[in-house]
Amino acid sequence: MRRRTFLSTPLLLPTLVTAADEPVAYPAVRPGVKLVFPRDHGAHPDYRTEWWYVTGALDSPRRDIGFQLTFFRSRPGTAEALPSPIAARQIVFAHAALTIPGDRLHHAERVARANLGASFSRLDCDLGIGAWRMTREDRSTGEVFLLQMQSPQFSYDFTLKPSQPLLLQGDGGYSRKGRSPELASYYVSWPQLQVDGVLVVDGRRQAVSGRAWFDHEWSTAVLGDGAVGWDWLGINLADGGALMAFRLRDARGATVFADAAWRDAAGRVRQFGAAEVSFTPLRTWLSARSGASYPVQMEVRFGEHTLRTLPVLDDQELSTSRPAEVVYWEGLVKVDGTLKGRGYLELTGYAGRLQL
Amino acid sequence: MLTVADLAKGYPGAGRPLFCDLALAVAAGEVVALVGESGIGKSTLLNCIAGLETADSGSIRIGRQALDIVRLDETARAALRARSIGFVFQAFHVLPTLTVAQNIAVPLLLGSVPGGEHAPRIQTLLERVGLAGFGPRWPASLSGGELQRVAIARALVHRPALILADEPTGNLDPRTATEVLSLLLERVREQHAGALIVTHSQHVAQCCDRVLTLTPDGLE
Amino acid sequence: MTLLAWWLVRAQFRTRRAATLLSMLAIALGVALGYAIHLINDAALTDFNRALKTVQGDPDAVLAARDSAGSVPLATVNAIARDPAVLVIAPVIDTRVRIDRWRTPFRLIGIDVFSAAAVMPRLLPRRDERAATKSIFDGGVYASPALLDKLGLQAGATVTLVRGEHEWLTTIAGDLPAVGPDELLLVADIAWVQDRFGPVGAVSEGRVRLAPNTDLASWRAALAARLPAGLLIRAADDDSTRVANVSRAYRVNLNVLALVALLTGAFLVFATQLTAVAQRSAQFALLGVLGLSPRMRLLQVVLEGLAIGVPGALLGLGLGYLLAIAFTRLLGGDLGGGYFLASAPLIVPELAPTLGFLALGCAASLAGALYPAYLNRRQPLAQALKMGFSQNPRAGGAIRTIRTTRPRGLRPLLLVLVALGLAQLPPIVELPLGGYAAIALVLVIGVGSAPLVTQCVFGWFAGCRLPAAQQIAVQNVAQAPLMAQVAASGLIVSFALTASMVIMVSSFRVAVDHWLDHVLPAPLYLRSKGTPLPQELLAALTRPEAPFARVERTAYGSLTIDSQRPNVALLVREIERSNPAARLPFTGPVLASPADTVVVWISEPMHEIYRITPGQTLRLPLLGSEVKVFVGGVWRDYSRQFGAVVISRDDFLRLGGVFQPTDLALWPLPGQEALAGDWLAPWTSGYGLELADSAEIRRLSLSIFDRSFAVTYALEAAAMLIGLFGLAVTLAASVWLRARELATLAALGFDRRMLSRAVMLEGALIAAVGLLIGLACGVAIGAVLTYVVNPQAFHWRMPLEIPWSTVLAGAVLTLLAAVVASHYAARQTTRLTVAQVLASAQ
Repeated sequence: MRRRTFLSTPLLLPTLVTAADEPVAYPAVRPGVKLVFPRDHGAHPDYRTEWWYVTGALDSPRRDIGFQLTFFRSRPGTAEALPSPIAARQIVFAHAALTIPGDRLHHAERVARANLGASFSRLDCDLGIGAWRMTREDRSTGEVFLLQMQSPQFSYDFTLKPSQPLLLQGDGGYSRKGRSPELASYYVSWPQLQVDGVLVVDGRRQAVSGRAWFDHEWSTAVLGDGAVGWDWLGINLADGGALMAFRLRDARGATVFADAAWRDAAGRVRQFGAAEVSFTPLRTWLSARSGASYPVQMEVRFGEHTLRTLPVLDDQELSTSRPAEVVYWEGLVKVDGTLKGRGYLELTGYAGRLQL
Repeated sequence: MLTVADLAKGYPGAGRPLFCDLALAVAAGEVVALVGESGIGKSTLLNCIAGLETADSGSIRIGRQALDIVRLDETARAALRARSIGFVFQAFHVLPTLTVAQNIAVPLLLGSVPGGEHAPRIQTLLERVGLAGFGPRWPASLSGGELQRVAIARALVHRPALILADEPTGNLDPRTATEVLSLLLERVREQHAGALIVTHSQHVAQCCDRVLTLTPDGLE
Repeated sequence: MTLLAWWLVRAQFRTRRAATLLSMLAIALGVALGYAIHLINDAALTDFNRALKTVQGDPDAVLAARDSAGSVPLATVNAIARDPAVLVIAPVIDTRVRIDRWRTPFRLIGIDVFSAAAVMPRLLPRRDERAATKSIFDGGVYASPALLDKLGLQAGATVTLVRGEHEWLTTIAGDLPAVGPDELLLVADIAWVQDRFGPVGAVSEGRVRLAPNTDLASWRAALAARLPAGLLIRAADDDSTRVANVSRAYRVNLNVLALVALLTGAFLVFATQLTAVAQRSAQFALLGVLGLSPRMRLLQVVLEGLAIGVPGALLGLGLGYLLAIAFTRLLGGDLGGGYFLASAPLIVPELAPTLGFLALGCAASLAGALYPAYLNRRQPLAQALKMGFSQNPRAGGAIRTIRTTRPRGLRPLLLVLVALGLAQLPPIVELPLGGYAAIALVLVIGVGSAPLVTQCVFGWFAGCRLPAAQQIAVQNVAQAPLMAQVAASGLIVSFALTASMVIMVSSFRVAVDHWLDHVLPAPLYLRSKGTPLPQELLAALTRPEAPFARVERTAYGSLTIDSQRPNVALLVREIERSNPAARLPFTGPVLASPADTVVVWISEPMHEIYRITPGQTLRLPLLGSEVKVFVGGVWRDYSRQFGAVVISRDDFLRLGGVFQPTDLALWPLPGQEALAGDWLAPWTSGYGLELADSAEIRRLSLSIFDRSFAVTYALEAAAMLIGLFGLAVTLAASVWLRARELATLAALGFDRRMLSRAVMLEGALIAAVGLLIGLACGVAIGAVLTYVVNPQAFHWRMPLEIPWSTVLAGAVLTLLAAVVASHYAARQTTRLTVAQVLASAQ
């Protein structure tokens, strides 16, 4: 349930898109729906929100370069009555980041409406804003995801090859986000993707390899139960396992809801309920830009396991400028403890309260 | 103060030259009168000495400087005039658009005399020529005698080596003429300058130290 | 030395107050006019560019259709968006709609806020918080503050937008906070605008922002090769070039006029300084004798010229600034030229051009002072001291050379040939520089021939039996041509320029008048500004009860032939292929076209700009593709400076075009003329249409014409005044120089009236010579302006029409003014008492 920009879609265009003129009947997320692939890699435009989210860590040209490419689709409820293909019914945002340890975080973003700069398919993962793409392809050697993005500072063109099967979060993809059953999403993960391709930083082209994590989630419900933000992490474990954990926090910082899923190296999946998962800040980093203080080193317990996160770079704070400003921390961390690995940690709701 | 040697000058198409092999000298403190018939070349001689006309040959040296004005270019002649020659004309030639004091100051400005000396020198000279208090007045309000006194002051103010005067009393009545002439002679002698005065007046000639007569055959 | 120079300058100003002031004023006038034109144009262009920037933003390139009726398919926009070199492409639908019952249409721009934020941030709307309004995505419309003001509307108001048949009932949801205070705009979501008004599946333009390291030229070339024929890709600098091209010729012409004013100013400085040198030759000689070096005698006169020029130029800058403000208030940013919006632009002086005009003013005064300074430098000292000014110092002894200049007829003849040759030159950098050079040469010839003519005329007069005083005066001038020449040349220059302008403007006006006859055959004209006429009206006109014998429909559009040039107008007219001459004023033969090809008739400017000739086959970007058309002829068009193409409606339909008339020419049934207006009234008020009869249009056109020459008239008047000042100054000086001679005459028994009359005769004769030569030069220059400058600068031709009565009346008036001026000169001189003059040596 991350995806800050997303959650805040209604406040993206505060003066333009406050609310739809007429309430839109978004479909509800229900348990027991059988997800079918590759169709469910495609878009589900009837739902309010949806995102495709790739995070990863590179091993060459140097270790611990973090990258991220996300596509968000939003149906804000506007222009529902206008029967035009370019009506602003579906807005697509894309966000890309690159963390170079010891250097700094680069990021870039794009936004467009469907059929006017942006595109998506209902049948398969095939997303684009301009030349930024995220597509799935069947090849003779197996299926792959292709990522392409360009920006003045950095660009990349990666091929992601699965080494393990899909991981359906929650109950066959039905993932609860709160105590009430409507607070849920469909949530599909694909950990341990082998990354190959080309990275261009400041005009220098380099071949890369690494590991990535793919998430695809769609829902209608927004934050509930008084939550103001969340901590999330998705880790490719060194032994080939995968860990996803999150918690929702209220205004006092107390956990409102939490969840975790661990697939071990043998492929066995264990789910952990709210009572079995805890997040404890160990060290905070203060952002001079926003004044927000992020618990970048966190102790995460689930079941019998205790892990500690260690960011490759403290300053992985992001701010999306367009169309509205949202400030949060999202970056590559190493994980140590009873399990070891690397992955992304996301901390939202620290730089002022996320408004809904 | 003035040494002229072997001077020759003629005009093209005029037949014989006005004069040739002319020689004359004026010593410091000496006033020499130059007389002769009209058209004989007195003014031309004066113009040659002042560098306003160029002699055909010969040499003219003024003051202690060894410069030969015949061989100088126009700019150098102007500079030499500004430094070493004072002029008094029959027609006064006082600039009507400048005040009396400004008129007198002109040679000082042209001859690069330090600015601090201007006012006292002009003051003194105005007193010496009997025009004390006339400094700020405009030439239009002055009589002929007064104008010629201004001209004399102007001719002397930069302490030139040589004064050239062309009929200085020609436009004045006899009484004023006598006054102005004696003033001129007095001041020239006082400053140890030399003076060459072209005149038709017997009276003027008599007042001078020496009289030279220009004839077609030369100076006598 | 500087002190002495300063004394002399001050003395000069004190003693010649009037002449100095006049020269200063003349310089000021030239600088003021040039500077004002510069300021106004700069402000108008800045304004225009700013408005363009607001609406268009700051894209690296713009993708657009060549045909105003065309559009850019969405598929093309999306394909370009996927180009890795493209950061963002902002699609835009730019159209005109009427708001409720307002007659004038306003601009409605459909934007996509997501891409507009990157390229055209100034168009971003602001939703009104108070009014419960629709969001832009839900069809809210946003108006610029100026438009809200003009319409008297507030956010929350319901409005109907109308374009042709289509209506859109919507609400004003807020304003456009970043749009300039003068701009009248509506902004809405692109999807809504497209849904309501079209174009289906397409947009007007795509504005492209490229990745920073992209090479624009090669990217553009690669894209252009892939684009369909009906589309073009413009770079941002094309737009500024196009904007500058819009008014370039007009601007250059005005600047040349200002230069003329400056030239006359320089001439007046010349006259003043020449007379000043002449009058003070004895003084300068004295200073020379006392030791002022020849260089300083030269510099002193130059310095005095500058002492006139610098304050004059400074005054001119101030005056120019005020003029610019006044003109923009009165006539708008285009000085009545009709190129820009009518709003008064903000005048903002900048340092570099301001210094430039200051320098120009100083240069003019310097130029005027140079020859007098040279003359002063050359004066023989001893003679000048005794005898005064010599006009021809090189001649050595003589004070006034008597007919030393033998009439040399060969040189003027040679110059005439050169001038003729220059007039034949093609435009250089699209400006009639050859023509301007020819004009300058004509003036040189005129001024140069003045001594010859003066000697002839005065010599002849001198030979006549005249009263003694007059005889003496006349002879005097005949023998002293320099002063007469100076006095006359001022008049030659100013009268030649004025006459030529009168001739050119008159020729143009007569031509426009004839042309209007031809292009306005119908008694009534109906037009909708920018939007197609309602179908209902067009249908009603075909019904038998409509009181019209004949209706001809025209649809206006525009085509981009060259993206750096303003668009060419496209007129789809109901015109017979076999007989286009019935409606178009052709300049040459009309060629019969092969039956199966589309034929177009191009306007004269199009013929000149694009070098297209009749009989040629042309590829015209029509209806989204390149269409081969046959050029059937060239017709005269004085209203569209950048070119126009006429195509018959039949051909247009054959090409698959949709004929949407915007203009109608109406012939009411005989006897029903009064009824016609009533019949049309509900339409005109209901749809905001404009109905005018041909007489009204003609009156309006001519008044626009006259307004656009307002500045020209102002300059003519200035030039004439300067010429007269020059005459008065020179005459006064020349008489003053002869004061002793006149006094001698007075002593011999001539009375003051006789002398005064002699001087006036002299003035009149000089003026007559000046006017005669001026008139001849004026006709020549008028012909150059009409036959060379106009076709090259504005691309239209016209026959020469000389308004003899106006020109001659002007000449007579000038002559009278000259006599008055010489009377003043005579009075100045004869005021001195004879005794005074004779007593003073010089």
